[in-house]
Amino acid sequence: MAVSSAVHPIAVEDGHGVTAARARHAVRGLLTNFGRTIAIFVPVFFVATFATFLLRALSGLNPARIQLGQNATPLEINRLEASYGLDRGFFAQYGSWLAGVLHGNLGRSWSNGYPVAVLIRDGLTISLTVATLALVLGVGFGLALGALAAVRRATWIDRGITSLLSIVSTVPAFVIGIVLVEVVAVELKLLPSAGFVPFSQGFWPWLSHVLLPALALSFGCMSSVARQLRAGLIGAYRENYVIGATVRGLSRRRIFFRHVLKNGIGPAVAVLGLEFPALIGGSVIVESIFALAGFGQFAATSAQMGDVPSVQGVLVVSIVLVVTFNLIVNLLLGRISPASQRGV
Amino acid sequence: MIRRVLAQPTGRLAVGMLSVIALLAIFGSVLAPCSPLTNSAHQLAPISASHWLGTDYLGRDTLSRLLAGSRASIVGAVEVGIIALFVGAIPGAASVYLGRVFEWVTLRLVDTLISLPFLLVAVAVTALLGNGITQALLVVGVLLAPSFYRVSRAAALSVARSQYVEAAEISGASEAWIVRRHVWSKILPPISVSLAQTIGAGFVVVSSLSFLGIGVQPPAPTWGGMLSSDLSYLSYQPWAPVAPAVLIIATVWACNLLADSIRDVSGEAGRAFASARPKRRRQLARPEVGA
Repeated sequence: MAVSSAVHPIAVEDGHGVTAARARHAVRGLLTNFGRTIAIFVPVFFVATFATFLLRALSGLNPARIQLGQNATPLEINRLEASYGLDRGFFAQYGSWLAGVLHGNLGRSWSNGYPVAVLIRDGLTISLTVATLALVLGVGFGLALGALAAVRRATWIDRGITSLLSIVSTVPAFVIGIVLVEVVAVELKLLPSAGFVPFSQGFWPWLSHVLLPALALSFGCMSSVARQLRAGLIGAYRENYVIGATVRGLSRRRIFFRHVLKNGIGPAVAVLGLEFPALIGGSVIVESIFALAGFGQFAATSAQMGDVPSVQGVLVVSIVLVVTFNLIVNLLLGRISPASQRGV
Repeated sequence: MIRRVLAQPTGRLAVGMLSVIALLAIFGSVLAPCSPLTNSAHQLAPISASHWLGTDYLGRDTLSRLLAGSRASIVGAVEVGIIALFVGAIPGAASVYLGRVFEWVTLRLVDTLISLPFLLVAVAVTALLGNGITQALLVVGVLLAPSFYRVSRAAALSVARSQYVEAAEISGASEAWIVRRHVWSKILPPISVSLAQTIGAGFVVVSSLSFLGIGVQPPAPTWGGMLSSDLSYLSYQPWAPVAPAVLIIATVWACNLLADSIRDVSGEAGRAFASARPKRRRQLARPEVGA
């Protein structure tokens, strides 16, 4: 109601009651959309974090095995477990762990006792840089290819793009990564094949080190986006309003942007919610190929050592990333295609 | 249905490729000319009469390792598909009949599984649970289960509400007869499409895990593991990754081709099942893991 009273006087002054109504409608739509999205993702967050917490009980690991080795006395083991709070009941541990997670405290690593949040931070920067760049590349090329195929549908351009995408989508990310290392780094010597340079050391050194990993990661995203966009646009082209627009003599460009793209882009945006977890998950492969010390690598090495809190930390961070990204995608989707709002 | 799949050229191609791959998996270790684990002095040897595909960095025959590794790579994928089928399809069908609480809980679980960063979770959980092949297959199977959940739930919903099932019940048909006659034929096509896709996807994941040395540890040959060791010697043997990569891509491609071809021949059933979705629910994502 605060919104309507704030907007109303201005609108009346302008003599546009419609603007106020529209603004109110938009805000209300945004809020319901937000509420619905939260209703989906809050359970997801809690189920996923609970499963993450269960990992310790399932794995049966404890810090004593890593820190004290084989010859530890029971007394030492007990003292160490107590220092990590492992001597308490299951739900007491879960309660304090969840409270810590909600406050950004991910516990201490079992291998060296450092706070996990600190250990993850550097790797997270690298992983997020690569994933973001991969997302930009994938969405950019995906939209371009999908739109091109749809506009030139049923020509050799469309067939070429479609078959290229179907090939690309079957090739696993690690094979693409190896091919890129082989061709671009080893044979052509265009870009470095491994390592990471922070942005503070200059734009090109930074970009040249993250470009190949991001490219390797982006192919899956690219082919999904392109295929969904193509299908969505071709579906939109078949609608009667497109025929109507053509009959009214609107230009091809106007029909594409105003009628077809607006109605056909929904699935391509929706599929991003699916592809983002794949980007975060794929980081573990790409970081191994390109020797990046990202949080995927950190998770893999910690898991092999049996350092449960570090693994839990990475998983919680990645769940938060995925949930946040999905929130954004859903809000975006609500703006683009209001039809997706009907019924949750 | 099998006959109709084979009547199509793509179906024949897919089945043919998959049978060759299956033969490799069964007889691979017998066909291998050398032992896949014996080191020799000819390290990183080029292609020759004695080593058709050369040798790797320890002098082990590449062809033998490819053949011997086929079983671990492919049987793993099939097992993943079967685990996912059981973990996903049964709760999916049950969610229609067992009441709203069960439905809500399983739907939230499926939402969660889909929004997890797949590979990261597979790597982390497998390694924590002991880093064995059994753990790897179980974890990947559970992670891939949502697609079966969706498919079998949709099929069960459409069958439960259909008039011909009602008509059959009224005319006194037994439960078992209805399931055999109506439910089975309705569920089978979408499930087999999903199974083919899941085996393809499971194959990619299992190869990715073995690439990272998770699940199957290095000395044992796997296609993914071979790629990973080839990576370190690219400047000596630039062509080494070609053979395992081609095999991996061919397998995944054949699985996807088979899925497409089953979907094509069961077009009617597939469409009926798609339109019978209960209500337009905005879902987190649709599992197209094959991509």
